[in-house]
Amino acid sequence: MPHFELNEQDRALAGVCSGVAAMLEVDATVVRLVFAVLALAGGAGIVLYFALWVYGARKRVWIAAVLGVMAIAGLLQALGLSIRGVAGATLILAGLFAVLRRGGSVRPGGRLPLIGVALLVTGAVILLSHFGASGRPVIGPGAIAGMLLFVIGPWVWRLQEDRTDRIRLEERAAVAARVHDSVLQTLALVQRHADDPARVGALARRQERELRRWLYGSGVPDAATLVDALADAAADVEELHTVQIDIASAGDAPLEERLEPVVLAAREAMTNAAKFAGVREVAVYVEVTADAVSVFVRDRGAGFDRTAVPEDRRGLAESVEGRMRRAGGEAVVTSAPGKGTEIELRLPR
Amino acid sequence: MKRRIVLVDDHELFRAGVRGELADAVEIVGEAGSVAEAVPLIRELDPEVVLLDVHLPDGGGEGVIAGVAQERPGVKFLALSVSDAAEDVISVIRAGARGYVTKTITRAELVDAIDRVAQGDAVFSPRLAGFVLDAFKDGERVGGDEELDSLTPREREVLQLIARGYRYKEIAARLHLSVKTVEAHVSSVLRKLQLSSRHELTRWAQERRLI
Repeated sequence: MPHFELNEQDRALAGVCSGVAAMLEVDATVVRLVFAVLALAGGAGIVLYFALWVYGARKRVWIAAVLGVMAIAGLLQALGLSIRGVAGATLILAGLFAVLRRGGSVRPGGRLPLIGVALLVTGAVILLSHFGASGRPVIGPGAIAGMLLFVIGPWVWRLQEDRTDRIRLEERAAVAARVHDSVLQTLALVQRHADDPARVGALARRQERELRRWLYGSGVPDAATLVDALADAAADVEELHTVQIDIASAGDAPLEERLEPVVLAAREAMTNAAKFAGVREVAVYVEVTADAVSVFVRDRGAGFDRTAVPEDRRGLAESVEGRMRRAGGEAVVTSAPGKGTEIELRLPR
Repeated sequence: MKRRIVLVDDHELFRAGVRGELADAVEIVGEAGSVAEAVPLIRELDPEVVLLDVHLPDGGGEGVIAGVAQERPGVKFLALSVSDAAEDVISVIRAGARGYVTKTITRAELVDAIDRVAQGDAVFSPRLAGFVLDAFKDGERVGGDEELDSLTPREREVLQLIARGYRYKEIAARLHLSVKTVEAHVSSVLRKLQLSSRHELTRWAQERRLI
């Protein structure tokens, strides 16, 4: 929030109203109207105007404070509070002011200067004894609440702005850290491996995937969803076997423990495709519906005859089919020599 | 006859890469790096296909389509992007692009996609097919036009196979259809995507972005 200053350009008298307006970022006419109304309340507006004038002219601040207290007292009196009520309320406001002036805070854990506490307590005692003595309901509680709002509002607002600034700074720091840990590291690696196009390609794709997830996805480095986890598995396989794995998805699901076999089986299927298909592209499609999770891993490579696969090649039977069966799902392998391979993993939800 | 292409992308390096890759397959008659450059250029050159980046500095690819479509209705647009944001992809398709492919596409597939789009077909990458299946998934009906707001079982099947990485020819063989019929299904899905008032579509795309 900008500081209060007399506004020399746009002024009716001394530029107090337009100065307040500039500080609160509202129209000066509104502020002038408020002052006019306050002036009717026992002249409080006029006194307050002088208080702010003195304050804005950077003259004696204590004169401004005294005038300000007088203005508030006048206003409270005009609202119908007795002298004691006015004195109590004024002391409470003065106490709050003192707390703020001395850099304290009324929030939990904040510092409370002694003079502020003394004023607050005295004010509260006087105000309460006043109500106790008169036995009448609180006079103008709305008015008091309004005044408190008027005094505390700008302060709360400033705290809020500080908070927004701080959050912005923290976000900036997080972005910087993130870019440093990921993008800059990858660029350094790319420079070192400039003579190895396959490796550079895999690095670039992994980085792209990470950045994309951060920008558009769940935003956390560790995979939080099924698609994230499959993308991670794909990136690992890509790096190990220099293939390109494209992932498409319809729907996603949080990565619960029971989905992990699906991720592991899919990873094995991708590895198989990368190792044995003899092609560079593998397509993965993930579909999450209300009643099942399906993952399709497909290549256009060599394919194989299922009956001819030797028993000791445990990858498919154990790591894919067995794993899915134990998890309560199934794996269907469709392949023929020269026709490519597709492995479908399906787990009921 | 080589296809006449205009390339719109704000990355000079990427344009150079595409130019190098496609030089012997198509004729690149013009290039632009922004909406402001692209609109008058395309109007003047009247190419068959515009390869269009989804993100441009002065507005999205939809800005280019909006600026050209009226005057040059014959120009076809193929969106080409690294963007994963469903919202961006869906909005450029809804603006009138006839397809969407990712920048990691192989050269042969890109040439094929350009050819298809030039003939008036739709081109869906697996990723886009996934987006569409997700957006049109079974759920509560939101009113509006029933025909436009849902996919037929056959369209769903075709899209699912595209998402799984199948090419049109492979899909045709698998479903015992002709390639022309497969193309017709994809074009029909494109039409629904562009005309459906389904507000789930927008909401869904935004949610994908906001998560």
